This record gives sequence, C-alpha cells and structure tokens, in this order.
Amino acid sequence: MPLEKITKIITKVSGCDPETIKPDAELEALGIDSLKAMIVLFEIEEAFDIEIPNEIIPSIVTVNDILKRL
Amino acid sequence: MKHRVLVTGLGIVSCMGLNLKAFWDEIKKGRSGIKPFDLPIEGTKMSVAATVKGFNPEKYFSAKELSFLERCSQFAIVAAREAISDAGLVIGERPLMNAASIVGCAGAGQETFDEASYRLYKEHRSRVHPLSVPKGMACSVISQVSIHLRIKGPAFLISTACASGAHALIQGVSMIQSGMVDVALVGGTETPFNYVQLKSWDALRIVSNDTCRPFSKDRSGMVLGEGAGMLVLESEEHAKKRNANIYAEISGYGMTSDAGHMTRPDVSSVANAMKNTLRNAGINADEVDYINAHGTGTLVNDIAETKAIHKAFGDHAKKLTISSTKSMHGHALGATSALELVATTLALKNSVIPPTANFTVADEQCDLDYVPNDARKQNINTALSNSFAFGGLNAVVALNKHA
Repeated sequence: MPLEKITKIITKVSGCDPETIKPDAELEALGIDSLKAMIVLFEIEEAFDIEIPNEIIPSIVTVNDILKRL
Repeated sequence: MKHRVLVTGLGIVSCMGLNLKAFWDEIKKGRSGIKPFDLPIEGTKMSVAATVKGFNPEKYFSAKELSFLERCSQFAIVAAREAISDAGLVIGERPLMNAASIVGCAGAGQETFDEASYRLYKEHRSRVHPLSVPKGMACSVISQVSIHLRIKGPAFLISTACASGAHALIQGVSMIQSGMVDVALVGGTETPFNYVQLKSWDALRIVSNDTCRPFSKDRSGMVLGEGAGMLVLESEEHAKKRNANIYAEISGYGMTSDAGHMTRPDVSSVANAMKNTLRNAGINADEVDYINAHGTGTLVNDIAETKAIHKAFGDHAKKLTISSTKSMHGHALGATSALELVATTLALKNSVIPPTANFTVADEQCDLDYVPNDARKQNINTALSNSFAFGGLNAVVALNKHA
C-alpha cells in the first residue's frame, strides 16, 4: 500500500508518531522541513521508482499531494 | 596591544585511544598504535595503518545527528567536546559568543562523494542522497563543530594537507593576539580510510608496508592514520579571570611556502619557517629544548628536515631533543599536526620528551638526537612543533612553559 510505504518513510525521516500520518496531514506539521522534504522525496523516488519533477514541489503540502503523484 | 595566548584545554580521538589520558599514556610508553591493516577494504596494497578502534558513533550522536556527520566530523566533535570540557568551559550552558572555531582537514567530504560516486558510476543508479551537499561540503566539518559546541564567533575550515591543524592553530592564535576573540577552539581531523583515498596513496608509493620508523636508516615510508586533535586557546586575561588550568603558552609561529615542488621539501624554506618562528616568538635558537618533528618516515622528508634543523639552529641542533610522534599515531594528514601539538603541549606540561618509536638503526644523514624508543624525563621550557605539508606548505609553532 502506498500510504503504508509513505508512512514508513516520513516516520524514518521526521521521527514523528506514525498515527499522525493521515492523507490530509500537512508535511510541515509532521516535522518535515524543507531539507527533510528533499530526503522524503528521494526515498519515495527510490521506493516507487519514479521521478518527481522539481516544478511540482511547491504544490506538495500534504501527504495526499504525494499520493496523487504515485 | 598583543594579547598572550594560552592553551587551556585538549581533546583527542586517536589510534592510541579515544581520550587524552589514553593517548598520553601510550606516548609515554613509546607504544605505537600502528597495527596490521584490518579494514574490510579490498584491493589496497596497504598492510599497516593507524586506525581508530572502538569508536561507536551511536555512543556520541543520535541517528538524526549522524545523517549530517562524516566520520571526520564525528571525530572533530568528540575531540572538541573533550577539549572544551577539559578547559572547564561548559558546553550548551550558553553559546560561546566571543570565540572562534577553526579546524583543519585535508580530505573533508571525500567519504560522502566517494559513496555518491559509487552509486552513480558503479551501481548505475540515477540519484544520490539529498544530504550529499550539506554533509559532504568541506566546510560541513566546521559547521557541525560550531553547531555541536555552540561556538558563535568566526568559524572556518583550513585545508593545507599535513599542516592543516597547525595552520588552524596559528589562525586562532593571531585572532586572540589581535583581540578579535577571547577564545579559539582549533585543531584538525582526518579519516582517510576509504577505497579511493587508499588507492591514491598506493599510487604515490610512499606508504610503508613495515611500520613508521622516522629518522631510522631502515625507514620505508609513512603510515596513514586517522584521528582528531583539538586545543582550546585563550587570551591570558580571559584564562586568568576564570582561573583556568594552563597547559602552555603559544609564544610564536612561522609559515612559509616552498613555491617549488609539490612533494619534495625545500630545505631553505623549511628552515625559514623555523627561523621565522623563533623571531616571531622573540627567542634565541639555543633556548629551544625540544622539537616535535614533522618526521614522516619517508627517505626524503627525514633527511630534508634534519638538514633544515641544522640550518636553522646551527651548533645548537646537536643539543636539541627531537622526536616524531607519527611513529605512534601514524600520519593522520590534516589531523596530524593537531595530534602533534597536543603531544607537544603535554610533553611541556609533564616534562617528558616523547620518543621516536620503532627506531632501529641510526642513519648517518639523520645525525641528531631523535630520542629513540624510550621517553625521556626532561624539563622543557620551549618546544617547536614542525609541520611541512605536501604542496610545500610549512607551519611551525613555538610553545613555552607559562610563567
């Protein structure tokens, strides 16, 4: 399940409680700052074998924004 | 007014132990930390090395902190913590505002970009870790030292190969002398044991497969080492105001550049670095008791350094005690002069001349007193620490007993 994989990645990078990771949760509220966001995107690209273009990064605010790109 | 500069704290991570006491105990015994090469790196010709054993990063750092820390940054911070605490300054209580942090490292970043290159060229993967730049940029070391030690004054990295630590110390000294800062954390760190660096040193054919035997006739080259050495420097006023423990005074320094050959030392230029130091410190040649030599254990260096000492000291050269502690802690490149400055400071404080370990046979071209194998109990009022780096970059520091 994509959400499960993403939950694992976000938890690993931010150290937040996995229970707080819901589709509408904002990444910043989960402790993902701008530098950590790059690590999350890197881990997602590796895990799903996809390429997330730089142009869409400003539109990624919530967990759901990531899910939509998978 | 020129402020006097004192050494008030020391810290060490070395192949001879992970703290000051362990390091000094081994030096006093003349026991070398050079051991058979046992790292899981295949394909190098290296058969001996001065590697740091038993360093467990998780003991010192959280997983989050480690994601930003190369091994050389880890060493630098651990040694800096010991030095700051040894100086009686409390980490984290409040930031050190009027203090500098200046660290030397020859190969900062190589670990990170070696791993990144492996992913790209060998594994043909398309991306590298997003922290590769913040972790691997050379100045990451000093940023991390200032973050972890909360030192908020001037901070930068100095990279002058085997003289990096000495150049870092000299920069800190001149900042304190001028009144720019009251305190400076200075030193060097290095961790060269990755595949690319080892193959590069193999290719230069100056690494010994025996051991490091400086000034001994049967010497066969240098032995690579790793570690970190840190010193806390303070203005005399600052140190006295807080009743700090004083190890020594840094009384002068001298620097020259050979501006010639990249690897062959220039005897006159090396001698000039020592002469400049004596002039800068305001001392006569015959006042020097001990020289902690650059003493790499290569055929060329040890003869050139001996000739340079003759040139700088004249008749007094024969009366000097000289030793190379590289025979014990190995050649830790950007960290080596910092390890040697710590050893020299302790020698001065404890009135013990460190030996040149692994010494077997005298060489007629190296005709001075190299304190072979056994430490010597002897008062030292003035000592020099010599560093002559590849690229012809020379730095010499004079230390005095503080009176």
